[in-house]
Amino acid sequence: MSNSLLTTTDLSISYGAVKAVRGSNLEVKEGEVVALLGPNGAGKSSTLRAIVGLIKSQGSVNFAGHDITGLPTERIVSLGLSLVPEGRRLFPNLTVSENLMLGAPRKAKSDDLFDDLLDRLPILRERLQQVSGTLSGGEQQQVAIARALMSRPKLLLIDEPSLGLAPTIVDAVYQLLSDLRKTGLAMIIVEQEVMRVLKFADRAYAMSTGEIALEGSAAELRTSDEVKRVYLGGAE
Amino acid sequence: MDALISYLVNVISLGGTYALLALGLAVVFSVLGLINFAHGELMTLTGYVLLAGILTGQPFWLAVIVAVIAGGISAALMEFAAFRPVRNASGATLLMTSFAVSMLLQVLFQNGISPRGQAVPVPTWLTTSLSIGNSQISKVQIMSITVGVLSLLALKFFFDRSYWGWAIRAAADDFEIVGLMGVKASRLITFAFLLSGLLAGVAGVLWVIQRGSVDPLMGFKPVLAAFIVAVIGGLGSLTGAVAGGFILSAIEIALQTWLPPNVMPYRDAVTYTLVVIILSIFPNGIFGKKTQEKV
Repeated sequence: MSNSLLTTTDLSISYGAVKAVRGSNLEVKEGEVVALLGPNGAGKSSTLRAIVGLIKSQGSVNFAGHDITGLPTERIVSLGLSLVPEGRRLFPNLTVSENLMLGAPRKAKSDDLFDDLLDRLPILRERLQQVSGTLSGGEQQQVAIARALMSRPKLLLIDEPSLGLAPTIVDAVYQLLSDLRKTGLAMIIVEQEVMRVLKFADRAYAMSTGEIALEGSAAELRTSDEVKRVYLGGAE
Repeated sequence: MDALISYLVNVISLGGTYALLALGLAVVFSVLGLINFAHGELMTLTGYVLLAGILTGQPFWLAVIVAVIAGGISAALMEFAAFRPVRNASGATLLMTSFAVSMLLQVLFQNGISPRGQAVPVPTWLTTSLSIGNSQISKVQIMSITVGVLSLLALKFFFDRSYWGWAIRAAADDFEIVGLMGVKASRLITFAFLLSGLLAGVAGVLWVIQRGSVDPLMGFKPVLAAFIVAVIGGLGSLTGAVAGGFILSAIEIALQTWLPPNVMPYRDAVTYTLVVIILSIFPNGIFGKKTQEKV
């Protein structure tokens, strides 16, 4: 758990004249689960999107010993980074099976992984030939996570896994993430449900207006007055 | 009954060609957000390559294959030379580029070959007809239907079963996320142009064989029809492109067959009025997405 897997150094992101993220320094160690907190517009999603190369950024990003700053997304994915985007962003006109197979590298032998994922998510086995746009929100989230896993990532970035889902479905999603953590998969989770993710993560960063305002172990942040004040209106 | 058979044959024959053309437009639209108006010139180019093959004494089947491949390769070259340098530019720039490429090719055909139409001698076995009941169906139409239907079936197989087929369909849904799947964007775009050019090639060969000639402006009308087809079906929708092809063909052939002679000069006006009515019922096309920001 000690080797650094991902570091961002002075990461800044601009949309025209608007600076969405300013000089952010993040670190994720191997096998570590890191929560990224913050209100809407704090720059959390932009940070994840910049790490995987979907948007341009300044500063540098280092992943598994590679400087991935400015690399095209497909190259970054091939190095072992994968993103579950906000809102799932499945391909709604493709079947579940096609969504999953597209997530695997073209020439990779993925049958074992495919079967393993379906063993973890048996509901998807029943839905394989169903067009993904017709799935429920929870099923879509499971497909989105499974699709991201098809590239065998070392670090999974997950943007708002509980957004728009019923509490019982959120439990199931976190159970899946918990199973994945046991395999040694490192994660960054962007989450609005602050206490839930702080109970799950090892460490956390809290962003505010594009800057990292707080960082520390998840246990520390859980009891932080600042976190309670900003996110929970003063009480847990 | 005979009139109905004749009508259906004409609808399937023309609709298949429209569908292939509109699919070519839709495939490029999926990855680049561009309606490539130079698509028609790929048809024209295919026609000239077919003519050259026949005039140089090549077997007809070989001339057809070479012409279709020339369509595909030309489209890929078009992407490399004209569209790649402006890939990240605005939609309006891409659209202007496609018009510029279209004009450039038309001028090259006019000055490099001839401004006049050239007769394309098709083999005599294609010029005869078959009788079905009291209907006469030309072998050109039978070939057109066979090639059109087989091409659409092959495309369906490709889109449903192959990695690149999934990638193109996925791009039609959400191009940005396709990169997250590890698909190289530039390769996907080149591949889409290649496929689009092959489709223009097949459609071009069918079009030229039915007309029996090729001229520099030949591609304009069919690509305009294909654009309308793509809009009726829903821009970017591959299913919609096929459906739209047969809908426009059904309208055009019905009016051609049954419109009273004194109204016939207004046939195109009636066709496009019906198209506007369809679009007023389905503003985003029959299979279109609710919002569309591409051009």
